[in-house]
Amino acid sequence: MKRRDALRSLALLTGGLVLVPSCDFSKEDILAAYQNLQITPTLKQLLADIADSIIPPGKIKGASDLSVQDFILVMVNDCVDENGQQSFMNGLQGFEEFSKKTKGNTFSKLETVQKEELLLAGMTTDAEAERDIRSFLGTTKRFTIQGFMLSEYIQTEVKPYSLIPGDYQGEVLIADIKTDKIHG
Amino acid sequence: MANFNIDAVKERTFQAIVIGSGMSGSWAAKELCEHGVKTLVIERGRDVKHIKDYPTTNMLPYEFEHRGQIPLEVQKENPIVSRCYAFREDAAHFFVKDKEHPYVQEKPFDWIRGYQVGGKSLLWARQVQRWSDFDFEGPARDGFAVDWPIRYKDIAPWYSHVEKFAGVSGNKDGLPHLPDGEFLPGFPLNVVERYFQDQLKAHYGGSRHMILARCAHITGNLDYYAQQGRAKCQSRNLCQRGCPFGGYFSANASTLPWAEKTGNMTLRTNAVVHSIIYDEEKGKATGVRIVDTQSKEMEEYFADVIFVNGSALNTNLILLNSTSNRFPNGLGNDNGLLGKFVAFHNYRAGISAEYHGHLEYTTQGGRPTSGYFPRFRNVFKQETDFLRGYAAGFSANRGVYPEQGGVGMHLKENLLNPDQYGPWRVGSHMMGETIPKESNYVALDPNQKDEWGIPLLRVNVDYDDNDEKMVKDYLEQMTEMFEKAGFTNIQTRDDRRAPGLDIHEMGGVRMGRDPKTSLLNANHQLHAVPNVYVTDGASMTSTATQNPSLTYMAFAARAAHHAMKTFG
Repeated sequence: MKRRDALRSLALLTGGLVLVPSCDFSKEDILAAYQNLQITPTLKQLLADIADSIIPPGKIKGASDLSVQDFILVMVNDCVDENGQQSFMNGLQGFEEFSKKTKGNTFSKLETVQKEELLLAGMTTDAEAERDIRSFLGTTKRFTIQGFMLSEYIQTEVKPYSLIPGDYQGEVLIADIKTDKIHG
Repeated sequence: MANFNIDAVKERTFQAIVIGSGMSGSWAAKELCEHGVKTLVIERGRDVKHIKDYPTTNMLPYEFEHRGQIPLEVQKENPIVSRCYAFREDAAHFFVKDKEHPYVQEKPFDWIRGYQVGGKSLLWARQVQRWSDFDFEGPARDGFAVDWPIRYKDIAPWYSHVEKFAGVSGNKDGLPHLPDGEFLPGFPLNVVERYFQDQLKAHYGGSRHMILARCAHITGNLDYYAQQGRAKCQSRNLCQRGCPFGGYFSANASTLPWAEKTGNMTLRTNAVVHSIIYDEEKGKATGVRIVDTQSKEMEEYFADVIFVNGSALNTNLILLNSTSNRFPNGLGNDNGLLGKFVAFHNYRAGISAEYHGHLEYTTQGGRPTSGYFPRFRNVFKQETDFLRGYAAGFSANRGVYPEQGGVGMHLKENLLNPDQYGPWRVGSHMMGETIPKESNYVALDPNQKDEWGIPLLRVNVDYDDNDEKMVKDYLEQMTEMFEKAGFTNIQTRDDRRAPGLDIHEMGGVRMGRDPKTSLLNANHQLHAVPNVYVTDGASMTSTATQNPSLTYMAFAARAAHHAMKTFG
């Protein structure tokens, strides 16, 4: 345990780039940056793929172009309570199984439309056995939207944020506001 | 060696000492220094220099690791401060963390503190409404606490004095119970807020008003404020981070640099006051004992006049801990009332609703203030089954909400092109006057001390039946007004928050006419130790409904001039 703690500290000091060999979980290493979660590189890639299906790339960059998966994991690790973290992990770990059961293949092998159908099914499922899938997808969608909309890219290049919003106007006709359509 | 000691004492001797560098202390310091008084300002926390020590002030939303949210582990370690609306990633460094400065809650009390130069003046909501005689005469008329020894005419010129210097934006509303002041141009109310004003006029015949809240922001007279190095408010609404424009009043942006410029101010930071030194032969206070928060060494400083502006409850703590043969129960505490009759503002209730009119309009830009209901209950005469009344905030907002259903390209397009204007959302929160009672008190813990050897404060403050009735009345009256205005989907709440979270704790060292029933006289001097002045929230005899900082500032300026006349 001591060695493991030391490695974790080292990993944190180096920004989580170090992989900590796991004593008990699997053949795969655990990413040390998220100390409350058991995230392997494979799970993180799966999360990135799911986020990318929620907000896909196009003319405007998509979720994984902006590494939204990193943001999701930071938020779940730091700002979600233990129960929520547990549901999130169960859902993430069980997601490939859910994909195979529902669509007959692992997530990455599905077509775009199938992926979206699968996500929508998971987000609305009432099955008791799929409760964690639903919770995991709800959390992931929420943080994907937040991470995407509040990313540096969106806030500087697409919809620039201004620290100085301008004088208050309390009676602006909506019809007079000109906005250009942004094609995603 | 003898000479060395004399020099050491000389170096530690000033004409005045001000304990606390926040809202009221900085005002005392500014007035004293400006008039040539050599003043030592003692601050328990670290220095916070204007602009330089505002690390988050120009940070963009994506630069906050959790986009503003406080991580759960920090919240668990600091449950008290985590309940404060402004304790977010961008301003957390200006708040006291629970663990670092413990106190004893005999009853739940959320004590929100800012231990640094400038204190909570960096964090305040910047609302500055004047009191009137309907407030100062409240205790005498309604038979609670004791009569204030001052009236509006005593404080009015000092309100003007601080408003001019601090910069207050507002409208002249001509209301006897919320007197007009020295106002810079007001921010606009929006179309729905003006609609609601008209509705109140129509339904209540001029007996209820919703006006623009007066706020301590610069909106004009820019050359004058440039002398302080301050500029026009840019409506950033990021005030709690510290403002690089000095657009709102803080001690850091305004009064402290002004005092410093005179060359008469010495600032001693990281120095927690242990007690005030009372010299029994001279029959007066002669100085202050501090503990250096880092070295933990005790030091003494001396002065002819001492201002205690340590924030309401800490001012109580300092005086209670200042014991001597003459004052075994705390400085100036001959009647045993020191620490008692603590009160606060009741912020428990709120209301929100929708309005589906004026849907062709929205708002643009930012505004650092909102609408305000001056008290309308029991103002001119007693008319309810509870004493006093409440003020209330009010605002209407129109937001754009992207449709967030589904996933994929469809969701992305919706997020990037939000065109779903929801209805107007309107809301209000109450600010109720609470009645000071002897049973609401603070005291020193007989055993537990903090890491600087100072006794922990025990806090025993609670709501009473009057407060319960007032919550009920606020919700009833607001619901009625909202219904009459055609607002729908009305939601009321009573969050039953603990006292303290209003951050308007007051009293314990109250003013009064009679030394038997009060601690301070009409000039804010301790009755029994006239060279000690208390001009912060501790001095409050009653609480009224107005956000109190403006009154503390005016008190401090007025008392500083009294001290200069008396001890100069």
